[in-house]
Formats: sequence, structure tokens, C-alpha cells
Amino acid sequence: MSTIQRDLRREPLRYRMKAFFAKPANLILLFFLIALVVLSLMPMVTMLTNMFTVHAGTEKKMLRVPVGSWTLNHFELLFADPEWSRSNFWTPLLNSLIVATGSGILGILIGGTVAWFITRSDLKCKKFISAVFVFPYMMPAWTLALFWTNMFQNSKVGGGVTGMVESLFGICMPEWFVFGLFPMIMVIGLHYSPFAYLLIGGILKNMDATLEESATILKASRFTIIRRVTIPIVMPAILSTFLLIFSSGFASYTVPVFLGSATRTFTLSTKMRALIQAGYEGQGYIMAFLSILLGTAILGINQYFTGKRKSFTTVSGKSGQVSLVKLRGANGIISAVLIVLTLFFAIMPLVSFALESVIKQAGNYSFSNMTLDFWIGTESSVFETGMPSGILMNGTMWWGLLRQVGLAVTVSLIVGTCGMLIGYACVRRRGTWLARAVENLAFFPYLMPAMAFGTIYLAVATSASFKWMYGSFFLLGLVASVKFLPFASRSGVNSMMQIAPEIEEAATIFGVPWVTRMSRILFPIQKSAIISGYLLPVINVMREVALFTLLVPYPRYLLTTMLFSFNETGYAQYGSAVTLLIIVIIILINSLVNKLTGASFDKGIGG
Amino acid sequence: MKRVLSLLLVLMMAMTLMGSASAETVQEALDAASSMTNEELYEKAKAEIASGAQLNFYSTTSFAEKAASNFEAAYPELAGKIIYAEIDDGETYTKLTNQIGSGVKDSPDMALVQNGPDLKVNLLDDGLAFNYFPAALKDVVPAAYQDPTVVTFINSLMIYNNKEGSVGVKNVWQLTEPEWNGKVFFKDPTNETVNLNFLIMLTSPEWTEKLAKAYEAYYGKAWEKGEFDTAAYEWINGFLKNVNYTFTSASKIATGIASGAAGNLGIFVFSKLRKVDEADRPNLSVLQFENDVDCFSGFMYNVYSTVCSDTDCPYTCALFINWLLSEEGFAGEKSWNSSQGYYSPNTTIGKPEGLEDEPYTYWDGKLVFEDLNYIDSLDNYNEIYRFINVRVSK
Repeated sequence: MSTIQRDLRREPLRYRMKAFFAKPANLILLFFLIALVVLSLMPMVTMLTNMFTVHAGTEKKMLRVPVGSWTLNHFELLFADPEWSRSNFWTPLLNSLIVATGSGILGILIGGTVAWFITRSDLKCKKFISAVFVFPYMMPAWTLALFWTNMFQNSKVGGGVTGMVESLFGICMPEWFVFGLFPMIMVIGLHYSPFAYLLIGGILKNMDATLEESATILKASRFTIIRRVTIPIVMPAILSTFLLIFSSGFASYTVPVFLGSATRTFTLSTKMRALIQAGYEGQGYIMAFLSILLGTAILGINQYFTGKRKSFTTVSGKSGQVSLVKLRGANGIISAVLIVLTLFFAIMPLVSFALESVIKQAGNYSFSNMTLDFWIGTESSVFETGMPSGILMNGTMWWGLLRQVGLAVTVSLIVGTCGMLIGYACVRRRGTWLARAVENLAFFPYLMPAMAFGTIYLAVATSASFKWMYGSFFLLGLVASVKFLPFASRSGVNSMMQIAPEIEEAATIFGVPWVTRMSRILFPIQKSAIISGYLLPVINVMREVALFTLLVPYPRYLLTTMLFSFNETGYAQYGSAVTLLIIVIIILINSLVNKLTGASFDKGIGG
Repeated sequence: MKRVLSLLLVLMMAMTLMGSASAETVQEALDAASSMTNEELYEKAKAEIASGAQLNFYSTTSFAEKAASNFEAAYPELAGKIIYAEIDDGETYTKLTNQIGSGVKDSPDMALVQNGPDLKVNLLDDGLAFNYFPAALKDVVPAAYQDPTVVTFINSLMIYNNKEGSVGVKNVWQLTEPEWNGKVFFKDPTNETVNLNFLIMLTSPEWTEKLAKAYEAYYGKAWEKGEFDTAAYEWINGFLKNVNYTFTSASKIATGIASGAAGNLGIFVFSKLRKVDEADRPNLSVLQFENDVDCFSGFMYNVYSTVCSDTDCPYTCALFINWLLSEEGFAGEKSWNSSQGYYSPNTTIGKPEGLEDEPYTYWDGKLVFEDLNYIDSLDNYNEIYRFINVRVSK
């Protein structure tokens, strides 16, 4: 009797299991659930334990206890010692909040204004302005920071090195303008203003024009219409954009490093790295953890707002024809100003880096002071600079480039494939806890600032069991794949949502195997979305610094960390040359993405 | 299942034993290497390379790259197998402690590092790295620089922009005066350990006394305990208040001061003058060559060689260290000795003619020399570090 009962209990489970595993989507979800728990959550646990242990280097030397011993010293120093706490935690935190808030506001002001002009006015040269305006967003943010320094440093501030503005016009900007919080806000705000432009512009473009038309009929002034009709409609988009820029500004590492070092203006990210570099890993991990908490909170708020946005109908179908505001006499001036400004921030950085990479003496832009030695010099001509040759003749540079490209390709293959599979499985099993769990876990790394995420993996790779990973290409590939998965998985889900399940079901009825269904039906239908899912991580990896800076075996291992090292150690011309090289590569890849997918950043908004 | 587990356990034990055996082998190999001739070492190195090894080494000094290429030229059968990677001072020991024994491909076999106290505490005391010194040089290198082995000394000097004449610094207490605020350039000591060690050395009884005497000479009254426990702490406080951290590296300080405002002064690595463009170089003056400074005009620190305990080419490492300590290695074409500010511990190697420099012995008493044993023995390291850190971070 008992045997029969046992069998009865076992049989349905066995069949249920068989049915469960017969569906490829379930297998995929199970695989990613395990993988993402191991790769996202477990490293967090390791980092948490590292907040309470002693590390090699300074901590060991100061505490005089063996590495790995438990301690509360990191917390005591960071929070209980008033002087230490103020200079190493509270002031950097306040600076991060100021930079994040300032850049969020600035980004929205610039991006929103341009979006309004492009979508709601009869501005001239819309196509051109729209195409060029998004350019700074394609370039890494730190290129703008370097450009800012090249432009505005002068003999009255810092070390008294002459920049382009002083050299050409004799104007010396004050220190607060050149270094510190103000330029950080400007650079991050400018970098993310195209992002605001794209999000707000999208809403403005699709907005029901009858609302504004009604207000016009009721004799409302143009300012009143903008204040009482347009802004309230785009408010959820503005709030969401603000939070996303705030979050990026808060997490920004490279911009504060380039613009804050001179005035000792630390943000949480730069202080985190400084502490880790000085051997205070424990305190660095605590700061990383707090950054992650804050990042999670910000994005939680954002989800709340974007969730609420569902109730704001912007596309009603009642009025497709938007009546454009006539700028009349101001049109020419506004267009000219926008063209000059967009060109300045899009083209001038390239010109500046090209110039800085060929001048021998800083601030002297005369032809006699120029040389190509920093590009193609040999040992005899560049020996004095401390480098064996110009960057194009330098094996270290080519290895760095090769590794970066190799990493980008590897990560893109992993991320693109995983994103697509997650998208497929989550859509096919939509509504199940497994699909929800995988979708959320895949998005989890997005909540973490890149520097903090790198820090987590540093904690893992320096633990006894995973030392074999430390400083390896494998570790860089792993960390980048997990970090860049959120966008790919979201894009995978979105693209797969557009495919009706009946198409695949029809093939299933005919006995077409899963692999064939994927490769012959689903892939071709969503070809451009999938290609873009593969190519975008390439751009991400090609411009990433913060994620890799703590994990590379040595600073010149990758092209971006090499550039960072050049700029930190005083190889200014080599740094500019490598920056230019990276920008050109990113532009080329971006053009390739546009060509292959037919998509571009500003598509659908610009004139 | 049990069998599999047992097998795994046995394998792990075997690997652990092999690991420890390998560490002993490296130590033994280095012991044996110390009494070998270069020819014998070359034979051993060739065998190591032939069996697939390559010498990966980290260095905080970029000149090591040239030394490596000269070494390969001298020992052609090792060509292409000496791989250099520059490493930042601040993260040297985090990188090394984690990479040694990790088994990661191309992890370092040896390193040229600064900051002796950290080398001792983090690598040598824990058996992660071993010292190697050739017996043949025991008589020409002072005993203090044999364990750990010093391969070069480097000095950081007070150097200023002379476009408007001399800055007239004759006493170090001048640098604590408000008129120097923002005009003194010094690399962040919390990121550059040799700068940190320089400040820590000032708290030693010897330098504290010298600073108190210099205080009396400058202010005309004896130094008295007040807000600060010693004259050293007061000097460090006043000095760090004036420091401008615009430039994040010694090279940037050198080029920045040369092309920047008149009267700016930096304490930075002397050899970085080579990176200053020829047109700007006349703008720089070394204070010590102008007048003596009461009580120091910079500091001197050591670069050590150390061999990683998991290297698979200990004999190649030994041969390379021999090379660095030799006349050909140290004073060869475009090597360390061709620049100001590098000095060999090998007393038979002097500075060449024609360089604006003086021999190592000249700097004794004029510069603050880093003392590994003093820093390592400090009980209040934590307190001093905290004192400096909060003043740097502001």
C-alpha cells in the first residue's frame, strides 16, 4: 500500500518535471536564474563580508592583524571619526549629490529646450542640429572633461598651464570655472542633454496637439501654453529623465577624476577608488555598497514615475498634425546659436585632441611647436618622454587596442546572445515567477554604478577561492557581460514581445526543432533589433573605464585604462592621441550599427 | 560519488603539496643562483625559457622597460621573453598579493617596487616573494641594501620655476608660510607611498630634532609644544595646507611647473626633468644647486627587486637582477644612469660626466632618506597616516 502511495506521489512530479524541461524556454530561464544568482547576488555577499575583514597592504600594516581577520575598524573610521568621516565620506557624498542634481537639471534644461525647438517650432536646419546635437552622447563623457581642461586651463589657476582659450583670446577663466563642481555639472549635463533631448523629444513629438490648439483658441499666451499644457504633459518624462541623469551623474567616475583632482574635489566614486588605491579596501566596499543602495532607490523612484506615466495619454490619434510655433525674426538667431553650440561641443573636442597630441610645449599652438613624434616617433625621437615610441609604433598600445577589441567582441557575443535568449524565454513564459525573477535579476546590475560593480568583482577575485580570476581577461569579460546585460535583456524582451507566439507554434506543430525555429523564424523577423543588441555592447566596452580600472592586471592592459594612466601620469600628448583614437573607433562602430540596423539615436525626433 | 570526492581530495592535497614544493624550489633556486656566474645563470635561463617560461615583470619605474630591452640584447636567446608592465605605486601590493599564486596566465614573476615597508609586510614576511642578491656583489653594495635588494635610488627634489628669479627658500619652514599657499606642488601622499614615507620619516626623532632646530633658526625662538605634539607634525600640517594638488604625477608637476607660473615650486622626482620640453627646461632650477636648505631639500627613496614565489623562471629573474646591478645594466645606453636622479647601490658605478647631478653620497644629509626599518617598527603608523590623510583630503 505504501509503495503504491509513494509511486503515485512521484509520478505526477516526474511528469511535471518532464513537461517543464521539454520547453526550451524553461530550461533557458532555469539556466539564467542560476547563472544570475551566482554572478549578481553572490558577489554582493562577498562584498558584504569584505566590509568586515582586514585586507593586505595598508589595513594589515595599520591594524597589525592577519589578512582576513574580522574587524569593525572600517566602519569606525568611516563613520565614527569626525575628521576622517567628513573628508572621506560626507563631503564626497555631498559633492556627488550636488553634481548629480546640477547635471540632471542642466541636462533637462538644454535637452528639453532643444527638443521643444525641434519638435514644436519652425526652427531652421532641424535635421542638422538634431544629428549633431546627439554627438556628445556618443562620445565617452570623459572626453568632454578632457576637452574642458584643454580649453579653459590657464596661467592663473592650478599649475598655471596655458589652455586654448587663454592662448587664442588671452582670457583666463577663474578656478571654479576650470576645476571642481561647476565644470563637472557642465560636462555631465552636456553629455546627458542629448539623452534628455531623445526622451523629452519623443514625448513632445507624439503629444496630442489638440491640447495646445485648444489653449491657443482660448487666447492663452505662448508662455502660458508651455507652462500650463506642455510642461505638465511631459512632466513624467522630465522626472524620469532627471532621475536617470541624476543616477548617472552620481555614479560618474571619470569626469570627477579629470575635473576634480586639481582642487581635491572628491565625489563618492573618486573617493571610493582613492581609498581602495590607498589600501583601504574595506571602506571602499562600504562606499560601494552605499552607492548601490542609493542607485537602487533612485531607479526604484524612476520605476514609480514611469509606471505612473501610463496614465498620461500623449498619443490619442485625434490630432496627428502639430501646428509649429513660428519663431519669426528670432528663427535665424536661435538656429545660428544652436548650430554654433552643437558644432562646438561635437567637433571642437576632436580638433582639441588632435592639436594636443602634436604639440610639444603645453599652450603653444604655433606650427614650430608641433611634431608627429607622439604618434609615429621612434625610440631615438621620443626617448626623453619616457615612452619607447609614438603610440602607433608602440606594441603596448596595439596590445591594449587588441585586448579592448577582443573584449568588446567577446562581451558583445555573450551579451547579445544572452539578451536575446532571456528575451525569448521571458516572453514565452510571461507571468511565471521564473520569468519575472530572471528579468529582474538581469536588470539588477543596471542599478549599480560601474565603479561599485567593479569593486564587487574585485572583492570576489581577491578572495582565496577565486584568485585564479584576478587580473585575467576572463574576469573582465565576465564583469562586462553581467554589467551590460540589462539593456540587452530589456531589448530582447521588447523585440520578442512584438512577435506573436502563433508563428512559432505553427512551426512547432510541424515538428521544426527549437534551434531551427530560432534561427530561421525568430531571428530573421527581429534581425535589426538583434544586431543592435550585439553591437551596442561593443560601444559600451570600447569606452568603459570605471568598470575596468580596478580589475585590469596593470594600467596599460586595455586601451581605455591606458589612456587613463597616461592622463594620470603626465603623458598628455599620448593621452590625447589615444582619446582621439577611441572616439574615431566609437564613431565608426556607431555608423556601422546605424548602417546595419537602419537606426540612429535621433531617428524619429529630428526634423 | 565517494570515490570521486576522495579523488578530488587527493588531487587537491597533491596540488597544495606541489604548490608548497614549488615555493621551496624557487627559494632554493634563488639561493643556488646567488653564487652562480652570469654564464651559468644564462644557461639555466635558456632552459627555463625553452620549457615555455617567460619573465613577466612589473615595475613602478618606466626606465625598467629600456633596461629589459638592453638585457635582451645582451642575452639574445631570451629575446622577446622579458615582458614589462608599468604599475601604479598605490596599487602595487594589492595587485601583487592577489596575483602571486593565482595561476593567472602572465602573472608577474618578479617586480621592481618602491615602498620597502609594504614590500616587507605584504610580500616578504608572508612568503609571497623572495629576496635575491648575488654573492659576487656583496662587497660593492652596502649590506643595508642587500636584503631586500635595492636596484636603484631615486630622489625627489625641490625644483622651482625661475622665470622671475630665485624663490629664495633657505629654510623648510618658509614653505609653511601663507605666501606659499597654492604654490607648492607635491603628489598626493595618500596615493604615492614614497611621498607618504617621506612625511612619516620626518616624525622620526632625528628629523623632528632637525626640524625643531630649523624652526629656531627661522623664527628666532625655540619650537614649543602646543597644538602639535612635535615640530614634525607642525611642519607637515603647514606644508600640506599650502600644497597644490593640480598635477597628479611627477611628470605633470615637472612639465606643469616648467610651463606654468613663475615662482611655483615642486617636490618631485628629479629624473622627470627629462620629460620637460627643451624650450621650457631653462625655466627650472634645482634649489639644492643654488643654496643649502635648512634642513632638507627633498627626499631619497629606494626601488627594490623582488622575486614572486610562484615564478617558473627563478634563474632568469636572478640573471635580470644581476644585470640591473651591473655596470652594463645600470649604466648602459639610455639606462637609469643616463638620467639625473637615479643612483646605483653598486658603489663602483658613479654618475657620468655632463649631467646636472651629483653622486649618491652628495645627497646624504641634504635629503630625507627612507628607512624601511624605522617605518616598519612604528607603533603609531595608524595615527600618523590619519593625521596626513585628513589634511590631504581637506
